[in-house]
Amino acid sequence: MKELKELIRDPKILLGMIVVPLIMFPVLGGVMSYSVQSAQERAQRATLLVVNNDEGNWSDFLINFLNVSARISVESNIVLDNDTAMELLAEYNSTQLLEIPMGFGENMIEHVNVNPNVTAAVKFYGVFVGVSIFENMGSPIDRFVYDFNRLLAPDVLKAEKSTIIKGEIISGVDPATLSSILFSQTIALPITIMILLTYSIQIAATSVAMEKEEKTLETLLTLPMDRLSILAGKLSGSIFVAGVGALAYMIGYNYMLGAVTSAIPAEAGIDLAALGLVPSLLGYLLLGISLFVALLSALALAVILSAFAEDVRGAQSLVGFIYPLIFLPSFALMYVDIGTLPFAFKIVLYAIPFSHPTIASRAVIMGDYLTAAFGIVYVSAFTIGVMYAASRFFATEKILTAKLKFKGLRRRRKTPVEEF
Amino acid sequence: MQKILIIVIVLCTKLVDWRIKNMSVAVEAADVVKVFGEIRALDGLSFTVETGEIFGLIGPNGAGKTTALRVVSTLLLPTAGSVNVFGLDVVDRASNVRQIITYLPEEAGAYRNLSGWEYLEFMARFSAKSKDESRGMIKEAAEITGLGERLKDKTKGYSKGMKRRLLVARALMNKPRLSVLDEPTSGLDVLHAYHVRDIIKRYVKEHDVTVLLSSHNMLEVEHLCDRVALLNKGKIVALGNPQELKEKYESANLEEVFAKVVKLA
Repeated sequence: MKELKELIRDPKILLGMIVVPLIMFPVLGGVMSYSVQSAQERAQRATLLVVNNDEGNWSDFLINFLNVSARISVESNIVLDNDTAMELLAEYNSTQLLEIPMGFGENMIEHVNVNPNVTAAVKFYGVFVGVSIFENMGSPIDRFVYDFNRLLAPDVLKAEKSTIIKGEIISGVDPATLSSILFSQTIALPITIMILLTYSIQIAATSVAMEKEEKTLETLLTLPMDRLSILAGKLSGSIFVAGVGALAYMIGYNYMLGAVTSAIPAEAGIDLAALGLVPSLLGYLLLGISLFVALLSALALAVILSAFAEDVRGAQSLVGFIYPLIFLPSFALMYVDIGTLPFAFKIVLYAIPFSHPTIASRAVIMGDYLTAAFGIVYVSAFTIGVMYAASRFFATEKILTAKLKFKGLRRRRKTPVEEF
Repeated sequence: MQKILIIVIVLCTKLVDWRIKNMSVAVEAADVVKVFGEIRALDGLSFTVETGEIFGLIGPNGAGKTTALRVVSTLLLPTAGSVNVFGLDVVDRASNVRQIITYLPEEAGAYRNLSGWEYLEFMARFSAKSKDESRGMIKEAAEITGLGERLKDKTKGYSKGMKRRLLVARALMNKPRLSVLDEPTSGLDVLHAYHVRDIIKRYVKEHDVTVLLSSHNMLEVEHLCDRVALLNKGKIVALGNPQELKEKYESANLEEVFAKVVKLA
């Protein structure tokens, strides 16, 4: 009962552990629900571009069949290569292309009249737009093939799937499979970022609060040492410990992921590096810098916040206010592509510095270094601002006297906080 | 040109050192006011500490002793008035002041996961100019603490008295120009308190250290300090040599002096 009273009456715990999650998760739910809905709407509105290179009765039959359940546009007699495919898709503002190749009709006739082992193939090309769990749910091709075969005969039609990655047709790679493989891999990064930032924040906050709790701060502040050096020491110590922790975590996670994926049969031998879907050296560098500046900004924020606490417990409750800023973008970007979100949400996510490492990780895979660089510049500016505020804070007596007084604020009356 | 510049800088530094060494006034506080919200912790506090003396601030809880020592140690900024330490303003030249002082807070702790020895090593690094000097400081500090082999243990296992001895040693080991000690014998038993007082006296005499300290214990201050200032409600109500004060107020000890002065005030 005593413990319950202690916890419930502590406004920092109440806010950090109860009120914040009550707000954060509904917001997250709203974002995800919006993303699912908009992905479904886009799938319904999407145009399937059909290139008819056969022009027989059977190809007309297939086009009419497609026309019943999908929005289609038809072009005829075009030899498809990388450039023509991209031009056509751009012209029709589409990301999916179905080619009815020459000989399709003959194969259909042969299957129906002579040899049921002969199948008629169509070629499907899907543009790879990025990793997002909801984006590939609208791919209609498997449903068409299934319905068509049910109507006529089993295994009469099959689709040879290809993916267009960065303007290049990669034959034999199913866009949906690729997306799901990449999804399982890229989900690791937001989780790593989340854990790394949470650990570091805890360490930095504890390191400052311990000085207060153990009564060593006053001695430290009277040593012949620049206050900025004290701050830098706290930050670098936290970065080092958090870095070692993150490394241990990533090694462990990698082994776990390896164990899981080795149990799954290799999906048509998809080699992500050969497809250009692994960050380049520059990409890794940008990603590293992005993560580092985000880490610095989180630590500086934690140091400032924890300076308002009297002890370690208070500091850990106070840094609880930073967690929604870490969890929200990590969870949201794990499932949703930022480009598909409403404008206001985009602004909010771009404004949160901890979104940028995840955004950068997606961008560098697609070769979009500008987005990653923009994130680094923004987070660096934010970090410099917070570090400046932190160093100013450390240079004044507020580091000793500052204390968040919830009761005082509620009563709108200042109470002295200093022992003298 | 570069050489001349270096020579000028070195000469200036030497000149400042010489000036500090030869100053007769260690601390000069003039009309110091410190306000926390609605409370005036210091209310026009003025006093002077001469070089090489032990000066005590005494008074009851809440008199402003700790606040005064924190202002002198550059931890708090005075709301009004000025404080100079060896001619250096504690606000404008705080970093210079920190180079010549040490401060022992009343409720100080040591880093719990460091051993006593490691703690002294860490602290020596800030003032020692060479490894030899650092080693010398630590050796001397180890003697002051009297902790012997226990210095190798982590400080989290120390008793309050052991920790206090370690911290007093830290405050004196680099022989600062001014050592500001807030309740230096707090938490120590009679024997260890006697030992610490003896060390403070020895350092002042042998190493030209000036000490500004505070204490509740007026009898202790009587034996230790060359001069004392009696503080009440942020103001000095009496100042002088303990013997002179006792004679002036016809009292047997400083406690009686304080009681009479407060009544008169």
